[in-house]
Parts: sequence; C-alpha cells; structure tokens
Amino acid sequence: MLPVSQAPRQVRTARAAGIAGARKGNPYVVFPIPKLRRRRQNGRSINPRRPNMPKSATRRPGWRDALLLVGGYVALDWASHIHRLHGLDVTPWSPAPALGLLFLARFRGRVAPLLALAIFISDAWVRAPQLPWLLACGQALQLTAGYWLIAEVLRRRIGSKGVFANRPGLITWVTIIVAGTLLNSLLLIGGLTLTGHLPQAAAGETLLAHWLADVTGILISMPLLAMLLDERSRGRLRQLLLGRESLSLLTTGGVLVLTFFAGEMSELRYFPALFLPIAWAAARQGLAGAVLTIGLTQVGVVVGTYLLGLSPLALIELEVLILVLALSGFFIGVVVDEKQRVSAELQQTLRLAAAGEMAGALSHELHQPLTALLAYTRACQQLLAQGERGDRLRDVIDRVVAESQRAADVVSRLRDFFRTGTTRLERIWLRELLSSAAARFATQARQQGIELSLLPAPPCALFADRLQLEVVLRNLLANAFEAAAERPPAERLVRLSAEQEGAVRVCITVEDSGPGVTDQMAEHLFEAFQSSKASGLGLGLAISRAIVEAHGGALWAEVADRGLFRLTLPIEEATSDAA
Amino acid sequence: MPHRSNTVFIVEDDPSVRDALALLLGLNGLSVVLFADAESFLAARRPDWYGCLLVDIRMPGMDGLTLQRRLRESGSWLPVIVMTGHGDVESARQAFRSEAVDFLEKPIDHSRLLSAIEDAFARQHLRQDDAERDTAVANLLQTLTPREREVMAQVVAGRHNREIARQLAISPRTVEVHKARLLAKLQVGSIADLVRLSLRAAEKDRR
Repeated sequence: MLPVSQAPRQVRTARAAGIAGARKGNPYVVFPIPKLRRRRQNGRSINPRRPNMPKSATRRPGWRDALLLVGGYVALDWASHIHRLHGLDVTPWSPAPALGLLFLARFRGRVAPLLALAIFISDAWVRAPQLPWLLACGQALQLTAGYWLIAEVLRRRIGSKGVFANRPGLITWVTIIVAGTLLNSLLLIGGLTLTGHLPQAAAGETLLAHWLADVTGILISMPLLAMLLDERSRGRLRQLLLGRESLSLLTTGGVLVLTFFAGEMSELRYFPALFLPIAWAAARQGLAGAVLTIGLTQVGVVVGTYLLGLSPLALIELEVLILVLALSGFFIGVVVDEKQRVSAELQQTLRLAAAGEMAGALSHELHQPLTALLAYTRACQQLLAQGERGDRLRDVIDRVVAESQRAADVVSRLRDFFRTGTTRLERIWLRELLSSAAARFATQARQQGIELSLLPAPPCALFADRLQLEVVLRNLLANAFEAAAERPPAERLVRLSAEQEGAVRVCITVEDSGPGVTDQMAEHLFEAFQSSKASGLGLGLAISRAIVEAHGGALWAEVADRGLFRLTLPIEEATSDAA
Repeated sequence: MPHRSNTVFIVEDDPSVRDALALLLGLNGLSVVLFADAESFLAARRPDWYGCLLVDIRMPGMDGLTLQRRLRESGSWLPVIVMTGHGDVESARQAFRSEAVDFLEKPIDHSRLLSAIEDAFARQHLRQDDAERDTAVANLLQTLTPREREVMAQVVAGRHNREIARQLAISPRTVEVHKARLLAKLQVGSIADLVRLSLRAAEKDRR
C-alpha cells in the first residue's frame, strides 16, 4: 500500500479505535490524538463519526464508475490498438490512459486497483499475451503507479479550478503530462529491456513510440473525456452538437478530413488545412468547440487509417500533427473562454454600478420631499398648538399631500429600475419599443405644446431587456422635453428616429429644439450627479449609459445647436416582413 | 447692546423644501428671505445683512460650498449653516474649514435646525459686539494727543516713568500727568487694562 492512500484510512481506523479504546480505559497507548480531542469535546454533542480531518471532496467510486473505467479503458485500448513493434504492442496513440488519469484525479487512489485490473485485462485481451503473466501483472502495476503519480501531481498543481480554466492551467497540464508519461515509458521500457524481453537495440525506438502514443493520446482525448464525464460540460457539448451553428462546423471538419483521405493521404500535404475549422470552432465556441472538432478529426483519422490500410508509421506522424492542431485549438479555446468570462463579469459589474448609483440617487431624491414633509408637518403641529383650525392649516396639509405624492413617485421610479435590474432578454421589435416610448410622452407633449414626431424605424429586432431600454428612452425623452419646453411655444420640437447602421447595429437618435450641449458640458454629461436641472438627480444619463453598454451598445451626446443624443445597439436580425 | 434684526437667508433650489422651511421658521418667529440659487443671493447681498445663511450643497449652477467660500473671500462674516441630502466627509470637511456653524443632513430635524440657527445668531452677535467694541476703542484712541500716544506706547512696552522721561526728554513729573490723562481718556483703571486695550487695537489693525 502506498503512503498517500494509507494516510486517510489509517486516521479513520485510528479514530474508531481511539473511541473504542477510551471505553476500555487505556486509549493513550493506542492512539493519543483521538483521546485528547475527545476529552476536549467532552459535554458537547459532536458527532464522533464526523472526522475532524480536512474532508476530501472525493466520493467513493460506485459500481457504475468501476464499470465505466474498466470497460471504457479496454474499449479505448481496443479501438486504438493497431500494430506491434518488436514484439511489444504499441499503438500510435493511446487515449485509454487519459480515462485512467481522469478517474484517478477524481477518485484518487481508490480506483488504482481498478485501473491496474483494466490495464491487465486489456493487455491480455486486446494483445495476444506474449509476456509471462507475472511480468504483465508487474507491468500493469507499474503503469498504474505512474499514472497515479501524474494524476496526483495534476490535482495538486492545478487544484479544483479545473485543468482547462485558464492558460497557465493548460500549460501546467501539458508539461506534467509530457514529463510524467516520459518517466512512465522510461520505467516500462527499461524494465522490459532489463528482464530481457526487449532487444536492447530496439529500446530507444520503442521508448519513443510508447511515449509519443501516451502523450498524443492523453493530450488529444483528455479534454473531451473530461467534458464527457462532467455533467455540466456534457450539457454544453450537447447544446453545441444540436445547435445549427456547430453542425455546419462539424460538417466542415468532416468534409475536410474525408476529402483528403480520399485524395493523397500518404503525402499528408493538406493536413494543416484542418487548422482552419478547428481554429474557427475554438474562436467561436471556446474550448468546447475545439474539443469537439479535434475529437472529430481524431475519429476521422483512425477510421481513415483502417479503411485505407495505412502504414502505422504514417499514422504516428499524423498523430503528432493532430497533437499540434489540438494544442493550438485548446489554447485558442481557453483564451476565448477566459475572454467571455471576463466580459460577462464586466457586464455584471456595470449593472451593479448602475444599481448602486440608483441607490445613491435615492437618498437625494427622497430627502428633498422628506425634508419638506418634515418641515410642513412640524408647521402643522405648531399651527395647531397656536389654535389655528382654518384655511392656513388646510393649505399646509394640501402641501403635505403633494410632497407625499412626490416621495411616492420617487419610490415607484426606483422600483421600476430595480425591477429592470435583473436582465430579462427577449426579442423586441425596435418599432414597438420606440412607439411605446413616444406614446408615454403624448399627453405631456399636448400639455406643453411640444411637437413630438416619431419617424418610421427600420424593421429590425433587438435582443434586449425591454424595461431597461424603456428606462433609457424615457430618460432621454424627458431630457429632450425639458430642453424643448424652454423655447417659445412655436419652436418646441422633439424628434425620435432610428436608422440601421450596416447589418449588425441600429442607431437611435433623440433630438430636441433646446439649446443643445456645449463642449464642456459633453465632457461631464454622463458622470453621476452632474445635473443642470433644478430638480434633477444627475443620474439619468449615467444609468442610461450603463444600461446601453451592458447591452453592448453606446450612448453619447453630440455637440450641436440643438439637443442631440444618439445611442447604438446591436440588432438581432433584420427582416423585411417585420411590420 | 442692541442688535440689528436677524434674518435667515435660505438658498435652496427645491421650491417645496424652500417653502416648507420658510413656513416653519416663520412660525418660529424668524424672518426669512428666500433665494432659488447662489447667484441670485450673491447679486442681492448687502454688507449690512445680519442673521445667518441656510444653504443647500447640491444646487444647479454654483453649489452651496462654493457660495460659502465666496462669502468668506469677500470678507463677509455672515454665519453659514450647510444642508445636504448626501452628506460625505469631504463636503463636511470643506464646510467646517470655511467655518460653517453646522452641517445638517436632510431630512432635517427641526429642533437641530433651530438650535443651529440660534448658534449662528449667537456667533453673529459675538462678532457684532466685538466689532462694536473695536470701533469704540478706535474712537477712544482718536481722542489722544500725539504726546499721550507716545507715552502710551512706552508704557505698554513696559518702561518706567524715569526711562520714558529720558526717552522723550521731559520730566518724570510730566510723564505722570500724561499717563493719568491717558488712563482717564481711555476709561481704563489700570496699566494692565491699558495693555489689554492696546493689544486689542493692534490685533484689529493686523486684521
């Protein structure tokens, strides 16, 4: 038994024995530490079965896991087994150890015997047994120990973050696999040579073949197997496989593989062309895309080799090429994944910032009516104390009512915002968005004598949060109305329009006949608490910009002799039958 | 000593808050003058305004703290009470550096507001008393003859009659006479009081 797996088991037995020993009265000799702990815990109801040791998160492998490991290992070995070199079976790539490594990393030493068994079975079954069974046993044990070591190093160096979470993780992973398998192959081939089962002259070549097979097999298939074993990643793969985008991608990869297998396979001339679909998939879908296309390429190569009856030596060369492709694809994929994660975090931060600003605005917006309310009610008390019962008191109470209404309005506006704080993306038609925003201001336009015009919008849809965009448009229109209201009655204009910019964006323009924005104003316009209005909070534009940016768009004011605000948003699709 | 009537000058952009504060302070027997922004207050300001200024920090245009600083720079000693709905350490620090009487957070508790206004008035009265005493001293000093002023300078510098006589080339007896007239004119009973008075005058000159 190796020390690593012994440690937890020993402690567990020790604790059990210690507790039992305490009853017998002589625990100290047997296991001092559990005894001391127990004494300290005296009187408290602590479940003695729960270990105080740091609990390992690993669970015990069940029957299904065991079956999956042994069956999977043998099946993979069988599928990749091709030929024999100097009496020793060498495969051009061996994916089976990748499965073993994943299980060892997950269940730790507990699956080591199972893995040894799997290696032994597959040696005995897949390859015609050449070696005496005792040596085969030793070989299986030695390989298992080597893989176990690699898995432990992987687990320690990379930890719980996952191997494929970031670039350093990926680099560490490659390094450990390359070094570990080299060590393993050295031991294996060295052992065989020393025991005289391998001619000394062939040792170097066999070593290289064995090592290469392990390295390529593990590096190419481990990410795919890891994703298949993990439930969440399985969902992501399924999503990719069933989505229309990836189907076209997979066909591209497949067609490429097939075309040059049908063509001049032996020359391998066009093989690097595979880099294109793999890089594309990785750039578009991250690691999952890369893993899928690489997996497809690998299967295509193996199938092609069988069908065409290619020389195994050519296949070894091919495997190295695939390995290079795979590593490039994984790197692109990991970088894309990292980027996506960072941008998602950034959007979340922006949204929080907007909510924070809104909460900050709450204090000022609510403090004004509350200050007035407090003063008015104090005044009421004093009037009552002075014996006032008539019109004066009634007048003050009317003002109290008006201020309460104002405070209630602030609260409901805030509630609106926080309701929009959680994004609910849906497809909304630009036309509907603009016309509903304009409709809200129709009454105000009539009352203030402002001419509000809405130009026909292009027929496109946005994938956005309706309420949030409504908040933005309401802010912009409210500003425009205030600016326009300062003009003499004949010159009060507000115009809302939109036009498509290329295939992917739409630009919405809010114009008013007000004084417009000067250079200096434009500089600070979108900062929080920059208000030019007597009753304003100076947050409308800051929040609007945060919302628009969270939607992947932009909002800015243009310096002009009239009010001119523009916002661009990405559109989902443009259709002619939208109306 | 009679004080000129006190007024609370309110500079606040929000019409309801302005109106409510005016009503409440009016009911408490204070006279109130209202301004919607800092600029109109500065334009209307007269140096003989007494009372205190109640100003909101956040206003469109010039903010309350800037208004307070401008007042100080123009040499006005009108006490200032700062109100804010959004109090932070930095603005409080600025307000008190410009000698604000109080820093009130909205919604404003009316008893705190009234006591702040009282403090402000008290501060204004002290300053007013001070100013009046300063003028009185200046007026008294005006009544001295040049020779008496010379003698006073020597006395305050701590010299004996004999030394003063030698310095000014007069007899010690004449110094005695000047000194007595000097004390009588300035209405002080002792040399110590005289020294105090002259220090005060010197300090005022420095200002």
